[in-house]
Amino acid sequence: MSLNKNNILLVFWVLVSSYINAQNNQNIKKDSITVELLEDVIITATRTKRQLSSLPLPASIVLKKDLEAINAVRLSDILNEQSGLITVPDFGGGEGIQMQGLDAAYTLILIDGVPLIGRSAGTLDLDRITVGNIKQIEIIKGASSSLYGNEALGGVINIITETPKYGINGSLQQRTASFETYDTRADIGYKNDQFSISGFINRYSSGGYDLNNNSVGNTVEPFENYTISSKATYHFSDKTDVFFSGRFFTQQQDYIASESLQGESDINEWNMHSKLTHTFNDKWESSLEFYVTNYRASEFLDDTSNNTRFSEATFNQTMIRPEFRTVYKASEKTSYIAGIGYTYETLDRTYFNEKPQFKAPYVYAQYDGNPLERLNVIIGARFDNHNVYASQFSPKLALRYEISPKLAVKGAVGYGFKAPDFRQLYFNFTNATVGYTVVGYDVVSEVIAQLAAEGQIANQVVPVSTFSSELKPESSLAINIGFDYQPTKTLSLQANLFRNSIDNLIDTRVIANKTNGQNVFSYTNVHEVYTQGVEFSTTWKIIKNLQFSAGYQLLFAKDKAAEKAFDNEQVFARENPSAPSFQLESSDYFGLFNRSRHMANGKLFLHIPKWNINTNIRAVYRSKYGIADSNGNGYLDHYDNFVSGYTIWDLAINKTMYKHYTFGFGIDNLFGFTDAQNISNIAGRIIYGNLTIQF
Amino acid sequence: MKTIKFLAIALLFVGFISCNNDDDATPELLPVNSETISNLHAPQNGGQGQPVSGAFAKFNFATGETTTSDTEWDIAFRGTSIIVNGGTSLGTTDEPERTGNAAVYIANGSMSSITEVATEHLMQDSATSYAIATGSGNGWYTYAGPPSHVINPTPGKILVIRTHDGKYAKVEILSYYKDAPANPDAFVDESRYFTFNFVYQPNDNVTNF
Repeated sequence: MSLNKNNILLVFWVLVSSYINAQNNQNIKKDSITVELLEDVIITATRTKRQLSSLPLPASIVLKKDLEAINAVRLSDILNEQSGLITVPDFGGGEGIQMQGLDAAYTLILIDGVPLIGRSAGTLDLDRITVGNIKQIEIIKGASSSLYGNEALGGVINIITETPKYGINGSLQQRTASFETYDTRADIGYKNDQFSISGFINRYSSGGYDLNNNSVGNTVEPFENYTISSKATYHFSDKTDVFFSGRFFTQQQDYIASESLQGESDINEWNMHSKLTHTFNDKWESSLEFYVTNYRASEFLDDTSNNTRFSEATFNQTMIRPEFRTVYKASEKTSYIAGIGYTYETLDRTYFNEKPQFKAPYVYAQYDGNPLERLNVIIGARFDNHNVYASQFSPKLALRYEISPKLAVKGAVGYGFKAPDFRQLYFNFTNATVGYTVVGYDVVSEVIAQLAAEGQIANQVVPVSTFSSELKPESSLAINIGFDYQPTKTLSLQANLFRNSIDNLIDTRVIANKTNGQNVFSYTNVHEVYTQGVEFSTTWKIIKNLQFSAGYQLLFAKDKAAEKAFDNEQVFARENPSAPSFQLESSDYFGLFNRSRHMANGKLFLHIPKWNINTNIRAVYRSKYGIADSNGNGYLDHYDNFVSGYTIWDLAINKTMYKHYTFGFGIDNLFGFTDAQNISNIAGRIIYGNLTIQF
Repeated sequence: MKTIKFLAIALLFVGFISCNNDDDATPELLPVNSETISNLHAPQNGGQGQPVSGAFAKFNFATGETTTSDTEWDIAFRGTSIIVNGGTSLGTTDEPERTGNAAVYIANGSMSSITEVATEHLMQDSATSYAIATGSGNGWYTYAGPPSHVINPTPGKILVIRTHDGKYAKVEILSYYKDAPANPDAFVDESRYFTFNFVYQPNDNVTNF
């Protein structure tokens, strides 16, 4: 699991380990006068250690030094600056990640290879995760269910936590920033030949911010959270290692619904992860892993006018996952991996009539090898059984062919799926103030019967018998084709064409009208959508201490049914809401909401060794996008209102003094961009200062 | 405010020219009437989960005016609900009895593209639902939800109506807000004021406009 940020140590480590990979030999160049791009090792892509640059999949790595250079605090800070990724706000003020134009619900987020849970509305809030103890972040684009199963439809983000270096070491950091935001972290670690242990604590709090002074409450209410984690490894012998880690997160935030309705929302999350690894010989290695995690969110509102409890809600999810896997290293370049595991999940939630359980055993296998000298092939597949929805078979094939040492072409085809979540199956929620009802697919007959008995159903729109068949998982076929080109030692270029075709997308529809004039909604497999486009990224070491990198993504994300409706001349619009309607052309269809056609980033990093200064300036651009069908025809078209495109500029400078002290200063969102009406997760200009002490 | 335009159709013109032909059985056709009605006020009590009540604002296409008659009305408005004078009452408080033979369907198109009544699609109100379905996106309007909370008429939805006495009309609702502002603000502009265009075919058994 150890991944060192220092390249030379890394190569050394790779050499002495049993995973000797001949490809790494060419990278042993200690000469620091020549300027060249570093080689990184990634484990998420294949579940074995692989050199990033030789991988046949679109993947990237964010290293600890990148996190430090931009003074990142939460996971969202850093992901938003990666090519083709963008953080999008969620209902509750949290942020999720959009990858290759796929929604935040379709990217699996892992910590040390095991999944984070707690998607109460589909999105996993990235602001929950501190980057303080992160060694590196690995990003795999494209469907990856062949290794990871559920949720790995758009891709996988794996957060690899830090392991201590030899001896006792640690650090302390304090950061103060605009909006009364404070981040304090401390870590300490010890390692010897047999044993390592580390502890980490982080406190993060913010006074929140308000983009709209007219509304009650703030855009983001004040909050405070703590992350505590610990990790230990023990080396029984040269052949047997044990790993144990635990993590705890707790957050309290004000919850203000109106002048008279005020309360608090709390999150408590913990996980425990242990792994026993045994190396039998040069070729065989097995590990037994056990993971358990719990995510509990609760909120309440009190009516301050009469001091009574207005509402209470809880969301309490548990996941347990044992997994056993074996790696067989047939030769230097050929490995086989196979795994078997079992996922148990349960959710206790307000608005559920029952406490449902998911039981899902799975097996997977993968071959990674070079049938020809220059051709790398990965073939893998996974089978997921499930007690509620249909079993899934997820194959994947990836190829990379090295045309020359400077140029390689690669391609991957994979299947990904996202199972219906608990909410889509078991929800039974009636909005207290408006009066509509949302019902999970599997409880439709029960809830409709209950509502009908109470005389609340005026008209059944979709017959209850429709819901006797299963709700199908959302599935995707992902194709990625690209090339890696490294014309010189200081310049690299990557391009990737992608297409994700998604079937059985789950959406809500009206299934009955209520006597109060509102509707009953439930979930259904309806849409077929696709996202396609092209990504470019480049890194150029201009001179020894000056590096430029840039990325661009062109994206078309569309609903096939919508395209058909435009083609069939069934879509109309108005010049303004009170003007007569006219018919729209096919070319007037823009695509899915919240997708920008163009996204780009550019970063310039400068290191001044004489003064021990690292500085950088970064820009992230996204073009216009729609967040609502403002003209009411059900589609996003060119006559709708769009959120204007924007660019965010960030500046950071870090100076190290007396070897152990690093002062950081920076301005995020240099020009103070905000869009109060449309963008809730951009607070405005953030000025911060950091002090880090290392020992 | 009400603006009235009379359109002479070609048939009428033919009718005049052919006056010389004695004993011609072709009756003289009345002109099709095209009008804009502004700020038809349709208040409502209750709603948002509470029982709905309040008198419907009734409208007669032949006169082009609102009416308080219990029988001589074609369609009626209360909040976002639109009922027709045909079929059965849903039985909400203050809902008028249906005395005529009115019916309605919603066609996809623009006022100029809907020229023929597809009589087989006509539906009347029933004891379980209105012929013009209620709820955002189901009938004539779309509710934008937070933060704007605006209710706008869905583009391309033309109400094709049979009146209580068997004539035909087509309606395009333009606004739900007083004085039909170009960009209504649900927090500022007064709602439940209908502005709509209609075309009324006054001749019996003529199903085109």
